[in-house]
Amino acid sequence: MDLKENPDELYQKAAKEYGAVLARMAYAYEADPDLRRDLLQEIQLGLWRSLGKFNGRCSLRTWIYRVAHNVAASHVVRQVRVKRITPSFLTLEEAEAEAGGEDVEISTGRNQALDRLFTLIQRLDPLDRQVMMAYLEDLDAASIADITGLSTRNVWSKIHRIKSVLSRRFPRGGRNAL
Amino acid sequence: MPCDELPDNLKILWKEVGANPSMFSPDQLRRETDRLQAKRRRGQIVVVSCMLLFIATYGLAFFLFPNTLARLGGALTVIVCSYWLVHALMERARAASDPGEKDGLSFYRAELEHTRDTHRWLSWRWLLLLGPSVLFDIGVAQIYAKIWPLIVPFACFDCALLLAAFAVWLPLKNFRLARKYQDCIDALDAASGKDEAHRDV
Repeated sequence: MDLKENPDELYQKAAKEYGAVLARMAYAYEADPDLRRDLLQEIQLGLWRSLGKFNGRCSLRTWIYRVAHNVAASHVVRQVRVKRITPSFLTLEEAEAEAGGEDVEISTGRNQALDRLFTLIQRLDPLDRQVMMAYLEDLDAASIADITGLSTRNVWSKIHRIKSVLSRRFPRGGRNAL
Repeated sequence: MPCDELPDNLKILWKEVGANPSMFSPDQLRRETDRLQAKRRRGQIVVVSCMLLFIATYGLAFFLFPNTLARLGGALTVIVCSYWLVHALMERARAASDPGEKDGLSFYRAELEHTRDTHRWLSWRWLLLLGPSVLFDIGVAQIYAKIWPLIVPFACFDCALLLAAFAVWLPLKNFRLARKYQDCIDALDAASGKDEAHRDV
C-alpha cells in the first residue's frame, strides 16, 4: 500500500472494494430506510475524511471496518439520545437464552430469514454487532480482535455464541437450503 | 452444539445484501462536507444569538426593576446562563477523535462516557437556574402586586412549575439517563473482560 496515495484515490479504491460491506453495515445498524441512507452517507463521509489520516499502522481493511463501525456506533448512541429512548441492548448471552420458539427455516424464505437476521443484529449491543457482522463477513478472529479491541480469546468465545444463536434461530432446512 | 452449515448459509445470504451500493464520489463528499459545516455554523449562530438575547433581557431587568429581589434574580440568571453558554461553546469546540484511530471497544466506550457525562453535568446544574428564576418571579410580583393583585397567584404557580421542572423532573431525568449509560459502560466492561471499577454515578 502506497501511503502517499492521494486520499481521494484511496477512498475510491476503498469504496470499490468495500462498498457492499459498508452498505450491509448500514442495514445492520439502522432499520429505518431514511436514516439508513443518512447513515451510509455518514459512514462514507467519515471514511473519506479519515483516510487522510491513514498511517499504515494497520491494514486498510482494518481501518475501513473501524471507521465504519465507529461511525455507526456513534449513530446508535445519538439515535438513543434523539429518540429519547433508554439504551437497552441485547447481549449475545440474552439472545442465546431467548432463542427458540420463533425459528425461521432458511429454506422457507430467504427474505424472511434475512429480515430476522437484521432484526437480531439491530437489537444487539454495538460491540456484539461488530463481532457478528465481522463473522458474517468471513473475517478471522485476529482481524476481528484488531477491529473491535477485544482479545482474540474473547472474540472466539463470542463467535461460538454467535454460531449457537444463529443455529437455534435458523434451523437447517436441508444441506442445500440455499 | 451449533451446526456449521447454518452460519455458512447465512453468510451467503448476508453477502447478497448491498450488492450495488450507492457510493458518493470524493467531489460529492467535499460538497456535502461544506454543506454540513455551513449548517453547523448557522445552528451555532442561532443558539448563541438566542442565549445572548436571553442574557441581555435579564441584564436589562437588572437596570429596569427597582426591586432588590428582581435585580438579584436577574443578575444571577445572567451569570448562570453565561456559564451554560460558555460550557456549550466549549463542548462544541471539543475535538472529536478520528474514528479510524480507535478500536471499536474504546471508541464506543468513549461515546457512552461522553453521553453519560453530558447527562451528569446537566443533572444538578438545573438547580442553578431555580434560585435566580424564583427570586426574579418574587421580585416582579412584589413590584406589581398593588397594580395587578392577580400576579401573586400567577407568580406562585410559576414558582411551583419552576420547582417541579428544575428541582425534580429535569435533574431526575438526567440522573436516571446518566445511570443507564453507566450501566451500559459496566456491561461493556464486563463483556470485554476488563471489568474495572468505573462506577461513578
